[in-house]
Amino acid sequence: MDIKYDRRSFIKTSTMSVGAAALPLTMVELAFAKPSDNFTFAYISDSHIQQIKGTQFVRNWDRGLIRAVAETNLLTPKPDFIMYGGDLAQMGNKPELDHGAEILSKLNGKVYHVMGEHDYYLDLGEYWSKLFGKQYYSFNHKGVHFVVLNSILTYDDWTFNRWPSAEQRMAEMAGLDNPNGSPFMVGDKQREWLKKDLAKVKKDTPIVVFSHSPLQKIYKGWNFWTEDAEQVQALLAPFDKVTVFYGHVHQIQYNQIGNIAFTSAMATAWPWPYPQSYAQAQQLLPKLTVQMNRADPFFERDATGWQFIDVNSGRASATFNLYNNTTRTVAFDPQAGHPKDKTYQDEDQRISPQVHY
Amino acid sequence: MGPPIHTVRVATCASILSGLFMMGAALAQPLGLPPVPVPADNPQTPEKIALGDKLFNDKRFSSTGEVSCATCHDPTKAFTDSPLVTSKGIKDLTGTRNAPTVINSAYFKLFFWDGRSLDMEDQAQHPIINPVEMGLLNHDPVLQIVRTDPDYVARFKKVFDKQGEQVTMKEVQQAIASFERTIVAGDSPFDRWHFGGDQTAVSEQAKRGFDVFLTKGRCVSCHTIEQDYALFTDNRFHNIGVGVNRIQKEIPQFAPAFLSAKAAGTDVDKAVLTNPKASELGRFAVTETLDEIGAFKTSTLRNVAVTAPFMHDGSLATLRDVVEHYNNGGITNPNDLVNDFLSGGIRPLNLTEDEMSDLVAFMESLTSPQFAAQKAASANPASCNVKTTVANSSPAAPASNSVSRGISAVALTESRNLPVSGGEGM
Amino acid sequence: MKIASVIACAALALSVTGVASADEFTKEDLARWQEQFDGVVKQGRGLWTDSKLGTNGVVCAQCHPNAANTHPETYPKFQKQLGKVANFWEMVNWCIRNPLEGNQLAADDPKMIALISYATWERRGVKLEPGKH
Repeated sequence: MDIKYDRRSFIKTSTMSVGAAALPLTMVELAFAKPSDNFTFAYISDSHIQQIKGTQFVRNWDRGLIRAVAETNLLTPKPDFIMYGGDLAQMGNKPELDHGAEILSKLNGKVYHVMGEHDYYLDLGEYWSKLFGKQYYSFNHKGVHFVVLNSILTYDDWTFNRWPSAEQRMAEMAGLDNPNGSPFMVGDKQREWLKKDLAKVKKDTPIVVFSHSPLQKIYKGWNFWTEDAEQVQALLAPFDKVTVFYGHVHQIQYNQIGNIAFTSAMATAWPWPYPQSYAQAQQLLPKLTVQMNRADPFFERDATGWQFIDVNSGRASATFNLYNNTTRTVAFDPQAGHPKDKTYQDEDQRISPQVHY
Repeated sequence: MGPPIHTVRVATCASILSGLFMMGAALAQPLGLPPVPVPADNPQTPEKIALGDKLFNDKRFSSTGEVSCATCHDPTKAFTDSPLVTSKGIKDLTGTRNAPTVINSAYFKLFFWDGRSLDMEDQAQHPIINPVEMGLLNHDPVLQIVRTDPDYVARFKKVFDKQGEQVTMKEVQQAIASFERTIVAGDSPFDRWHFGGDQTAVSEQAKRGFDVFLTKGRCVSCHTIEQDYALFTDNRFHNIGVGVNRIQKEIPQFAPAFLSAKAAGTDVDKAVLTNPKASELGRFAVTETLDEIGAFKTSTLRNVAVTAPFMHDGSLATLRDVVEHYNNGGITNPNDLVNDFLSGGIRPLNLTEDEMSDLVAFMESLTSPQFAAQKAASANPASCNVKTTVANSSPAAPASNSVSRGISAVALTESRNLPVSGGEGM
Repeated sequence: MKIASVIACAALALSVTGVASADEFTKEDLARWQEQFDGVVKQGRGLWTDSKLGTNGVVCAQCHPNAANTHPETYPKFQKQLGKVANFWEMVNWCIRNPLEGNQLAADDPKMIALISYATWERRGVKLEPGKH
């Protein structure tokens, strides 16, 4: 049964605290937008299903994905599709991918997948591809051109020559702060493919890119980094409306570089510290970002969540469904020309958990 | 033990308590508790407290003239209606929720199990017009009484300098809240040990139980303790798998349907107390936020041993049952299904038998001396096998009322046999 | 008087023989002790990524890469999860017990000292702010 929900009825029934979100229904229908331009989808990422032994998996991460799936299924009206942002598994093995796929199978709706490094480096995505299909591709939906990249590749030497075994290679890439890691990239081959793919797209067609790595250079030590970010951005430069969604960072980030609005995804598994909390290194957190609430580690779902994306006239707004905290919405502001948090962007609107790191 | 004695006992309680507090000043707090928050626009005075006490006990504020606040928040039962699983209002109509204690409720930030009431003053008005509680259609009968009953007229004049139409529900609620703010109790054996330094105040078992509480039991993060006092509640709402587990398979259909009904005008207060499924939505029914599906307010643990049964639906009869529910990781029976919306703080604990017993012993050490004489009837399972007697029932109340209330008449009798004579109960 | 002169004599004697007195240490001592500390830091880093610290395969580095967000410079402080003002090692134990589902360590357990050494070392240079939440 569809519930028709417009802004007015939401405000009437919701008398409680500011910032409380209803069941994320499309509340931001702009009066002037054509209905066919507007649609919604869910974006779930970074579940890191981790095998302990046999059929025993880390309960904490399982529960995070289970919760995201259950909540997504409550969305009324149903989102057009679900995008899974990568790192479904922790060590990329078959039991983890199967267990993750099983939990995801409860989703009502079509699911698209993005490759994450934790899915990739054991068998270079072989089993993942059997389950989920192509590692990079594009599709059109209601007038928007979607591109999905495998942006967690790295230098061939590291991938093929450096490590004595696939398991070792996966273990080395699995450590975020591992000095033996290697920077992510989209790579020549995919950039060539992207160039050809975009050549067929009109300049005023909105583009939404899904990538696991940020397609920016934020902090190399934790691979919040894409080595050929500038080159990829250059390919996207000619278009009027470009949005990049990325996973990997397990925290709220958003940014504007030229014509591209960047927004990250939360993990369903666990949060990561913001790069500036590492005192010994220089890094660049997107300046715009109002940080997510600092987590209380007792609540395993704190600072984890999933995203509800509302595409309106080719621009995206992301509602971060945080399990233990007030929902956050980051939307492209046409006047400012960049994404903004709808509640907390002004410095004097910030609350303690956002600044108390 | 008919109504007259009952009334006297309560009045004694109120006057003792009010005598303990300085007029108009901040309330002195017992050991282990911080100062009671008092809103600036409703300062405490002895007369206001006494007025609130009278209102709290006034059965005329119900459609049948038989139900007052004290019916479900009975001072002789630690301000609950233990051992009732869910409360019974007018005509013995059953609601969906267990009556929480008024003791130390002054420290809550939101009221009712789902926090739908924003302050103590606001809370007082709702049960009066709830169809299964006090059953009035609106507050007019209340206003009629307080504006014309000579004793009330005099009191409202004295306390608020108001009379006639000037006396509104606001004044009524303020007086009730003032009275409730005096129902605070700390100074339990735990407090005397942990904050007072008396090593002999609690048993060794309770001390071990406290250690479980802080570590393996993972209790302290929601049932909070701070450096100088312990409220045992974080004032937040959590889905711990009670109640919601029963409806979890239906949530995908029921949650949107409930919101639809709400948007069409259904009153939340009425819905959650009369519709068992709606009740299990918990705070979601109020805030409509996904992360509050099945979430209920963290209760204080103070005096928990005398307020059985437990949880918002009274579904857990003993403290041991409670510990087992948590030990199982948010399911009452080991084969139940864990609900998808379970709080991230709940997980299987792998406690040993001893650890569970120790934890119960710790919780029993949280009973304040003035309530120690009262005993949760369900704590003694043997009582369920004893032949029913209806001694000591109130002569003024209809016999059927006193027999049918409670899950077992024996339990009711048992609690009425407790030595709560004179002022000792308080 | 007598004792003082005995001590003074002993000191003189020692300094003459070339062995440092109680309150003297050499550059070699400093280098050696620093190296020993660095070794413990390295052990701590090893434990930081060691799945045997807990029982479910989770390691500290998963949530705290480079020990970020552990804030050793804020201890002692009121720790909500412990219900009291506590020290850093107590919170490390909380993490071992809870997310890692492992067994806690004594304060003076070499493993605990190694963990603390690593986490504090990664936070070197940051000013002390005891009590900061």
